[in-house]
Amino acid sequence: MEFDPALFIDLFARTFTFWWVILPAIFLGLIVGAIPGFSAANTIIILLPMTLAMDPEVGLIFMVALYASSRMGAGIPAILVNIPGTAGAAATPLDGYPMTKQGRGQQALAISFVSSVFGGLLATIITLLAMPWLSQVAFYLHSVEMIVIMLFGISLIATIAARDTLKGLIAGFFGLMIGYIGADVVYETPRGTFGFLELYDKVPLIPALVGLFAVSEAFFVIEGESILSKRGKEAMQKAGWAATIEGVKIALSKWWHIIWTSMIGLVIGVVPGAGAAIAAFVAYQQSRAFSKTPELYGTGHVEGLIAPESANNGVTSGTLVPLLVIGIPGGATAAIMLVVLQYHGVTMGPDLFMESPELAYGPFAAMAVTYFIMIFTILPLARYMSRITVVSTIYMSPIIISFTLVGAFVPRQYMFDMYLALVFGVIGYVARKTGYHTAAILIGVILGPLLETYFLRALKMSEGDIMVIFSKDLANVLWVGLVISLCIPYAMQRWRAWKAAA
Amino acid sequence: MTENNENTDKADKNSLGGDLILPIAAFIFTLYYFYTIIDVPRIAQISAFFVGIILIFLIGLLAIRIGREVKAGTADLRLGGIIEPRSFIPKRLALLALTLGFIIFVQWLGFTLTVFTFLSLAMLLLGNGRNKGFVFAIAGILSFGGYLLFIVAFKTRFPAGPFEQLMERLF
Repeated sequence: MEFDPALFIDLFARTFTFWWVILPAIFLGLIVGAIPGFSAANTIIILLPMTLAMDPEVGLIFMVALYASSRMGAGIPAILVNIPGTAGAAATPLDGYPMTKQGRGQQALAISFVSSVFGGLLATIITLLAMPWLSQVAFYLHSVEMIVIMLFGISLIATIAARDTLKGLIAGFFGLMIGYIGADVVYETPRGTFGFLELYDKVPLIPALVGLFAVSEAFFVIEGESILSKRGKEAMQKAGWAATIEGVKIALSKWWHIIWTSMIGLVIGVVPGAGAAIAAFVAYQQSRAFSKTPELYGTGHVEGLIAPESANNGVTSGTLVPLLVIGIPGGATAAIMLVVLQYHGVTMGPDLFMESPELAYGPFAAMAVTYFIMIFTILPLARYMSRITVVSTIYMSPIIISFTLVGAFVPRQYMFDMYLALVFGVIGYVARKTGYHTAAILIGVILGPLLETYFLRALKMSEGDIMVIFSKDLANVLWVGLVISLCIPYAMQRWRAWKAAA
Repeated sequence: MTENNENTDKADKNSLGGDLILPIAAFIFTLYYFYTIIDVPRIAQISAFFVGIILIFLIGLLAIRIGREVKAGTADLRLGGIIEPRSFIPKRLALLALTLGFIIFVQWLGFTLTVFTFLSLAMLLLGNGRNKGFVFAIAGILSFGGYLLFIVAFKTRFPAGPFEQLMERLF
């Protein structure tokens, strides 16, 4: 795994010749990323007969391009209509949607595209150069450390996504309990399923996402004529190409922000199972923690949009590291890539870098070229995409409900999942109306099964001793960080009150 | 006069009843979950008890906070924001009924006809029956476009109804 400049130059030049595969994959990825339920993983599964028939190198380039572009596509509905296309874009609406409501949807899309492209591109290049070291990250994080990271994730979301930390924590832990529904991974005993067989395999993520974000939003926005405010509508009508150019300029002026938040994404992406949703929220929280204007986050603040978009695209190359280096896929899409490559007789692991460097480094070259092509193809579309926000809620709400419910059905093809999406819609509606952030509930649902798995592993190793969660040095440092992160907002609030009174 | 004063007093208070809906649901669900793990091996119980007990503790803190505000007279337990604006309650309930109908009838009517019917009825409901021609045209275009995208292009195995069966016979 040594750095060979000639190999990389040759690889990039060669990958560019596959533009005819990359271009359709980009557009397909943008579409499936933008529709909840149609993830890159599902689409690659649907297209398996095609990818299996392709040459392994071409198939891999197609899958990687689709994967990278779907990540960007997921941010588009998150910004324009407050509905993330995938869980990885769940932090994007926090500042992206308020920008849209102010009539800055086109600018927000341009900022998102530039952050995603440069964040993803940079993470890909760093991955290529630092592969041997990055692959070690996963070895330092065992079950105990992962338990604290999961709880850290919930507490971060509670403090950042909700205005009221207590309500945010309740929403997050309620989400965790919902995520615990189903048969446990060790004893296969069904718990909290209300007798539904469809819940034995855990709560499916897409119906939860569709319900909490899309259905609840559709019921929420019918109070207004459009999702835009009156000033937002005026601003939207005046917006021309200048808004896109302005968005690009703003994003580029925050280049340092893009760099360090995409690095957060890359490091989190390397940890198998951690995923884009956690990376995006951690990056958002870190961005706010180091900001001089943290009070502006959640109101349509540019840095609050850049952070999650750079981070979730940084994750994309990170998830491929454990797949290629140790043969452990970092996410669902990486797992499918593993299946396709194994079908072609390609064995993952360190030997791959010696025997077939074009296959080992190829995915990263494909990703970098995809990001490069993507910026020229998608930026001009920002102006037209943002027009969707002027559509009246009379038409928008029914369209959102019907098409996202279809999305809820697609992954498992159970009618039950559509009912489940409606139940989550009701929960999401109540949460929105009463100040419990829907993103906190969703992250709980995502993290619940992971937290339980790590808990069970740690407890099995310690023969049921709960104190195992305090048995590792790194974990203990994280525990201290967790307590501090929960205390800081309260302490800051008291300090401000004391200062105001003095 | 006294009634007016009472109304003004009520309007000044924070209505926090709605804030308790999710915590109560979460509390009941957690107790139910605990009930379902009584016979599970101890190791498999610990993580659920760990998370569940923290959740109940947090709900307790919120209940105490709300209780103190109610006792201090700054809040009451009316539902408040969750049902406001009241003028939208009938529309919202009707839209909920239509959504439920969409899920129930899609098994028999199939994707295309159900989407068309749902879109038409929901748009007419929200638009108070205005622009009927435009509504039917939009619903027709979107449902047929959805058929082409989801069923023809993505091969989604969505319940087939009369329309899908007819198209399959024709092509």
